[in-house]
Amino acid sequence: MDQKRRKILQALGGTGAVIAAQPYLSFPAFAQNAPLRVGIIAPKAGIAGTIGECGLRGTQFAVDRINAGGGIAGRRVELIVEEETNPKDSIERLRKLVLQDKVDCVQGIVSSGVSLAMGAVAEEMKALTIFWDGTTQDGVKETMVNPRYVFKSTDNECEAVMGSLLAVKHWKGKFKTIAGINPDYSYGRNNFAAFQALLKKFGIEHTVVADQWPKVGTTDLNSHVAALKAAKPDLVFSSLLFADLPIFMRTAHGAGLMDGGTKFVFPAAGFQHTALKKSFTPAGMIFGHNTLYFDHPNASALQKQFVREYEDKYKDYPHWEADRAYFAMKVYQAGVEAAYKAKGAWPNQEDVINAIEGVKVESLGGPGMMRKDHIAEQTFYQGITTHNNRYDFPTLATPVDVMYSDQLQKPTGMDFWKWIETATIKL
Amino acid sequence: MTAFVDILFGGVFHAAVLFLVAAGLQLVFGVQKIVNLACGSFYALGAYFGISAVNWALKLGLPPQLFLGVLLLAGLVLGLIGPVIEALLRTVYHRDEAFQLLLTFALVLMFQDVLRFFWGANPQQLGDLVMSYGKLSAGGVIVPTYNMLVILASIVIAAGIGTFLQRTRFGRILRATAENREMSQGLGVNVRWMYASVFTLGTVLGTVGGALVVPTAAASLDMPVELVVEAFAVVVIGGLGSMRGALAGALIVGIMRALAIRYYAELEMLAIYLVVIAVLIARPVGLFGKPVE
Repeated sequence: MDQKRRKILQALGGTGAVIAAQPYLSFPAFAQNAPLRVGIIAPKAGIAGTIGECGLRGTQFAVDRINAGGGIAGRRVELIVEEETNPKDSIERLRKLVLQDKVDCVQGIVSSGVSLAMGAVAEEMKALTIFWDGTTQDGVKETMVNPRYVFKSTDNECEAVMGSLLAVKHWKGKFKTIAGINPDYSYGRNNFAAFQALLKKFGIEHTVVADQWPKVGTTDLNSHVAALKAAKPDLVFSSLLFADLPIFMRTAHGAGLMDGGTKFVFPAAGFQHTALKKSFTPAGMIFGHNTLYFDHPNASALQKQFVREYEDKYKDYPHWEADRAYFAMKVYQAGVEAAYKAKGAWPNQEDVINAIEGVKVESLGGPGMMRKDHIAEQTFYQGITTHNNRYDFPTLATPVDVMYSDQLQKPTGMDFWKWIETATIKL
Repeated sequence: MTAFVDILFGGVFHAAVLFLVAAGLQLVFGVQKIVNLACGSFYALGAYFGISAVNWALKLGLPPQLFLGVLLLAGLVLGLIGPVIEALLRTVYHRDEAFQLLLTFALVLMFQDVLRFFWGANPQQLGDLVMSYGKLSAGGVIVPTYNMLVILASIVIAAGIGTFLQRTRFGRILRATAENREMSQGLGVNVRWMYASVFTLGTVLGTVGGALVVPTAAASLDMPVELVVEAFAVVVIGGLGSMRGALAGALIVGIMRALAIRYYAELEMLAIYLVVIAVLIARPVGLFGKPVE
């Protein structure tokens, strides 16, 4: 049985009882009010199960702190957790949360396939929804240009753009042939296309000698690795990010793909960082940790506390989904409290939405904000891997590269490919 | 040439995995005339149980190099579920094929929940244990030693089954039962025991296969269905009920997949199913299958 999952759910249920006993110092007028109900829809099973689990832990950390500090504008937060599965069933759970549980806000969603479908429904239902990691992009094209009720995460391509920039920065002139092994859906395709577009932008002549598109969840990558090895690329770009990434790494190491001077860029490796053991993951690769790098030497006190508690409690190290979940909760808190302060009374949903637009928060991984077009801006971390650490998996060598997403994602209303062509991007 | 050998090796490794699943399917169909969709579930069960068994053994202080023996043992022990499942299938031996398919498909779904209950919903892996066997290197070709062991295990199992079926008394009785159940029964063969034995052997092929392969891959809830889909391509190409067909079909599917991935990565499944269609048109009973009389 999945004891960890059970413990999380028990903890989520038990939080209310513990926190209810605490005094509300900041907002005594609302101490007697009903709790704010936040619905969370996150994957608990399958390839994204561990990702959802990490996100739920980030949410729990945020809620524990919020409730311990007196709640959101004096009202404690109560979570109702539902499972993210396929778009159809996840939308049914959204309906249940909104219509039956009457939640004040919905948060969560890892899969862009789900958020793409759910975004339109949330708009139709006028349900305030803040996505953790999902977007409403069809490929790189925004399908909801002016949403009112839906707030989205940073664009999926941010990590690919940053990984590409680091490849140019560190290895310009050291590679001519490239190969890709990326998941066979829009995320993988866009990531590899973005990489090539950025190479072109920086005038790096290159030839694609192999492009592999394994289905998500493929567990035998021997033939894919053999194909890459046969193509003899100078550089391999891979946005694999689920359980298939450690399998690829192990297979590639076993087949000798990493024995030569081939360079590797893994913009989404952070999702699997603890599974990529040193014994088969060489140092010197570009790894992306997205919006939370757990071992950052200059991390905030907040992040250090979170990582320490996470390690003590779960015997593991968090990745960026915890940050995305924490960010979503803090954005909601900041919006409600700003609206409450402005109105001098409890705000309605429209007031909260207006207040969230442009709100700035300090997330686990660093500063972030919600743009007025309802797309998040956050801080991203990538770098070159090193074995010089106390863990059994590689971390990033110092100095870690840090970029704010206004350098990594297109501005409001702009075409992604046009933005890459015309943007002034600093390396 | 080195590149071609690498690609060939990738294909043969995949074929070895497929053979272990398809062999159980073929054996059970060959004798009991039941298309056992649950063969992929046995494979997944072997993979999950293998991971747990190795982790337990390591905690008890077993040297990491001995994990292969633990995996084999785990797969063999799990074969004990064979007689239990076979007892359930007895209820549909004389029913229409649709009932048999529905029952074995129900088993697939039930096993998926069993896996979820005991091991959770997240994919499971064995970390870097496979590295303890090192690599083999010759003429520029580098092969993980463990992968070579999996291929060798499949060859040994294929040879063992062939010898067992052709050279032993039990094998001859088994083939006779497959040809004519009533005649065998009339000659004193205990068909019920024979069926239980064959089904258990088919189950063991799956559980051992899953346990053997998991150090190079991962155990996930989706693996039973994914493997069965590919195993059926193997069976259609090789011929339903034929062990030689399972071997040939697995090699064809594995190598076609590897070549497609190298030269036309996006046509991986198309390449395999083009062969399936070609076989269905040119020789509907498969390369080694026997026409139904």
